[in-house]
Amino acid sequence: MQRLEATRVAVDLAGDAPIIGAVGNSTFDLVPFDRPRNFYMWNSMGMASSIALGLALARPDLRVIVLDGDGSILMNLSSLATERACGVTNLVHVIWDNGGWEITGGQPAGSPFGVNLETVARGCGFLKTATVDDLDAFHDVFAEAMADDQPWAIVGRVEPGDSPYRPSKNCIALRDRFKASLGHR
Amino acid sequence: MAPTFSIKRSGRHQAADAPAWAHSLLAAFRAEDIHHLVFLPDTVMGRLLALAEAQEDDFFTLVNVHREEEAVGILTGLFLGGQRGAMLIQSSGLGNTLNALGSLAMAYRIPFPLLVSLRGELGEFNPAQLHMGRAVPGCLDALTIQHVTLSSEDDVPTIVEGALKTCFTAEEPFGILLSAQLTGWKPEN
Repeated sequence: MQRLEATRVAVDLAGDAPIIGAVGNSTFDLVPFDRPRNFYMWNSMGMASSIALGLALARPDLRVIVLDGDGSILMNLSSLATERACGVTNLVHVIWDNGGWEITGGQPAGSPFGVNLETVARGCGFLKTATVDDLDAFHDVFAEAMADDQPWAIVGRVEPGDSPYRPSKNCIALRDRFKASLGHR
Repeated sequence: MAPTFSIKRSGRHQAADAPAWAHSLLAAFRAEDIHHLVFLPDTVMGRLLALAEAQEDDFFTLVNVHREEEAVGILTGLFLGGQRGAMLIQSSGLGNTLNALGSLAMAYRIPFPLLVSLRGELGEFNPAQLHMGRAVPGCLDALTIQHVTLSSEDDVPTIVEGALKTCFTAEEPFGILLSAQLTGWKPEN
């Protein structure tokens, strides 16, 4: 499936849930579906999952979505163990798996070498996991995860390809808009 | 085995062993509504964490990370969600946080106290702790992160209160370095 189309499905089903976009194409493909509760990263590769965890701890009343990249989570695999160690139940962790570092020229990483990120998530204690490679299946499992009261890890296999979209480069404005959308000054 | 989330996070350390500086630090955190202690433990922080975990009103939540860089992200998410937290790490772990400190906490202006217990300073027995310990002030300076060093118990309440106030005014991390002069060093040779 296409990452852009899968992102459209995720935003459609998100309701008022905040979404953290990982640095690079995960954030870039979130931009056409812009809303105040989208948080866009410009660097700090790997941190998307940890930002989502902090937000999930701060706001147990919300389901918190992170649209992660395979390269990003491979840089911060320990965050999967931390997510479980914290015991949060309101996290929906989506990992776009395009088999490598797309934005730097499509160098292969992870799945082309047999790394199975769903298995990694299960090994870190996630009980609700899935790997999907078509849009209908993604729609169904993401809807199930959003309606659930348990943490989920969903690996979405997506086609390679760079996103043409970009968010604002004013990091503080990105921060303030997101924070205000959650009712915080 | 079913996961147990009520498990004691501070290990074998006991609140009764917490030194005066740990009481002062936690009192200052309370006064600034800092509820979340995001940590990767060392022996020095262990006593502070035990004291925090033993508070009768459960004011503090202990969040243990597995690599220090994670703490920068978690503290960012907490801030975006309207909560304050502190990072508690050892000097060797500061090296694991640098890109996230620069490209997330500084770029997006995320405030939190960054407590670093200093190895490689006074009374060090481990040669592999020397260089990263020594590099801590320089790393923070290079990132233009303001910092203070706590060396004596009498100074802790005032300096920490002032550091926290500046931290939240600046909306940036603020380093609070714990010298072995304050925390003591290991008897090992």
